[in-house]
Amino acid sequence: MTEIPVYRPGPRAFGQMLICELKMVARDTAGLIVPIGMPVLILVMNASSAGEHVVAHGRTALDVFVLPLVFAIVMATTGIVNMPSFLAAYRHSGILRRLGVTPASPMMVLVAQAVVGIVQIAVGIAVAYAVAMLAFGANTPVNIGAALGVLALTVAAMYAVGLIVAALSPTPNSAVAIGLTLFFLLGATGGMFGGMQNLPEAVATIGQWLPFGAGVQALSYAWIGAPVEAAHLVALAANAVFGTVIAAVFFRWD
Amino acid sequence: MLGCRKSWVRLLTIGTGARRPPLPSVGGMSSTPAVEAERLHKRYRAKVAVEEISLSVGAGEVFGVLGRNGAGKTTTVEMIAGLRRPDRGTVRVLGLDVRRDRARLRQVLGVQLQDATLHHALTVTELVRLYATFYPDPVPAGELIESVSLTDSARTRFDNLSGGQQQRLSIALALIGRPRVVILDELTTGLDPEARRHMWATVEGLRESGVTVLLVSHAMEEVERLCDRVALLDAGRVVALDSPAGLVRRAGFAQRVTFRAASPVPEGLLEGLAEVERVRADGDRVTVEGKGDLLQAVSVALVRAGVVATETRSVQANLDDAFVALTGHRLDPEEESTR
Repeated sequence: MTEIPVYRPGPRAFGQMLICELKMVARDTAGLIVPIGMPVLILVMNASSAGEHVVAHGRTALDVFVLPLVFAIVMATTGIVNMPSFLAAYRHSGILRRLGVTPASPMMVLVAQAVVGIVQIAVGIAVAYAVAMLAFGANTPVNIGAALGVLALTVAAMYAVGLIVAALSPTPNSAVAIGLTLFFLLGATGGMFGGMQNLPEAVATIGQWLPFGAGVQALSYAWIGAPVEAAHLVALAANAVFGTVIAAVFFRWD
Repeated sequence: MLGCRKSWVRLLTIGTGARRPPLPSVGGMSSTPAVEAERLHKRYRAKVAVEEISLSVGAGEVFGVLGRNGAGKTTTVEMIAGLRRPDRGTVRVLGLDVRRDRARLRQVLGVQLQDATLHHALTVTELVRLYATFYPDPVPAGELIESVSLTDSARTRFDNLSGGQQQRLSIALALIGRPRVVILDELTTGLDPEARRHMWATVEGLRESGVTVLLVSHAMEEVERLCDRVALLDAGRVVALDSPAGLVRRAGFAQRVTFRAASPVPEGLLEGLAEVERVRADGDRVTVEGKGDLLQAVSVALVRAGVVATETRSVQANLDDAFVALTGHRLDPEEESTR
C-alpha cells in the first residue's frame, strides 16, 4: 500500500471555519434580535427607577438586580436558544454530514459555534452595559474579578443546557421550541419576571440551583461586593458538567 | 457556451493527475482494488436496506451503482464512505479500513452526498475557501469555481443558487482535495441537459487522470455512457455486475420495434420472420423484439400484407431493458412514460 500521510486541518482551517460561522450568525439578522434587542429592552424598561435606588457600596438596584438579570438573558438566549437551533439546522440540512466526509472534524464546527456564541454574548453584554452606563449611570461591580468568573461559569452552564437541547431535539423547529421553553422555565424560576423573593419558596429553591437563578444571584453578590455563595458556584459548575456529559452521550452528527 | 466547455475540460487536468499518479501495483501482483466491499449488510429497524453486497472496484475504474430508489444504493455508498457502520461486512478503500483509518481516508476520498447541503448563508467563494483549508494541496479556488462554470455566481450565497448550481458546487467541493477515489451520489439529478453533459465530461476527465469513480445513479443513460462496469442493485442485493454492454446482452433481445397498426396484423405474419423473437399486441399497439435488421424486416412484411403502420419506432436494447429482464420491473418509473 502506498503511504498516505495523515493530514489534520490546523489553525488555518479553524480560523476560516470561525470566520464562516461568524458570517452565518451575522447574516441571520432575525436571530440577533433576541439576544441583543430583548435584554436592552428589559434594561430600558427597568433602569430609570432602579438607577436611583442605592442598595449598598454606592451600587444601585440597577447594578445589583437589573444588570445581572439582563446579562443572564443574553447568555441564556444565545446559549440555550440560538446555538442549539443553529446546530440542529446544521445537522438537519446535512452540513455536519458533509463536513464529516472531509478531513475536518465536525467537532471543529461545534467549537467554532461555541466561540461565535461567546462573541455574541460579549457583544450583547457590551451593548447592554454601555446603554446602562451612558444612559442610566450604571456602576462597575465592586468585585470585578468575581463578576467575570461568575460570567464565565454561567456561560459554561448555559452552553451545557444548550448542548442538551441540540442533542435531543429531532428537528430545527423543535430545537427552537425546546430552547425557548427551557429559557422561559429557567428565567421564570430565576427571577426574570420579578425578583426571586416573590416566587414560592420551593420554586425559588429549585431556581437557585439552575443556571439562570444561580448565575443572577452570584453576579448580584459580586456586584455589591459580598462574598459569592459557594452553593451558586457549585450549582453552575454542576450544570456545566452534567449538561456536557448528557450532550456527549446523546449527540448525533446526522 | 464554448468558453464554458473549455473550462470544464480544464477540470480534467486539475482533477488530480498531474501531481498524483494512480496507485502503483503492489509487489508485482495485480493492483490493489481501489474499493473493496465485502458482504455488506445494513438494517434500519424493521427494514433491511442492504441484504448482502460485495463490490470490488479497480484503480482507475469508473464503476456504476445503478438501481431504483430504495434499492440500497445510497446506504451502500455511505458505508463505503465510512459514514454508516455496516451491521456486517467490511469495506476497504485504497487498502484503508474506512472506519479505523478515517483520517487517511478523508484525504484520498472525495464524496458528493445526495442530500447534504452547505452553509446556506455563505457564498460560493467563501465555501470553496473554507473547504480548501481542509486539504494539504487543494485546487485553487478560482480555478475550481471556473471549472464548474460558477465564476459569475462566485459571490452568490448558497441559498440563492439554482438547484443545478448547488449541485455543481457540491461536486466541485468533492474534487477540491485532489482525491484518488471519488464517490458521486446522483451526479446529475436536477441538472439541465447542458449541465449534465458538462458533468459527464468531468467524469471522463477524472477517468483520464486515473481517478477511481464510484457513480451512483438511477439514470441509465449516464451509466451506459460513463461506466466501465456496473452493479445493478435491487432490494439490497447485486443482481448483476458487468460492463454496460454485457448487461444489455442480458436483456434477451437486441432490438425492439413498436408501431400502431391501422388494421389487424395477420396471425403469424411477424412471428414467422427470422429476425423476430417475440411479439406482443396491446390493442392496436404492437411491440416486436428481435435481432438483426428488425425494423427493415417488420416494415417489409407489413407492407406486403397491406397493413399500414404508424408511429413506428425502433430502439436498441439498453440497460433499462436488462434491468426489466433481471428484476421484473423498470429502473425508473418516470422513464417508462417518456419512452
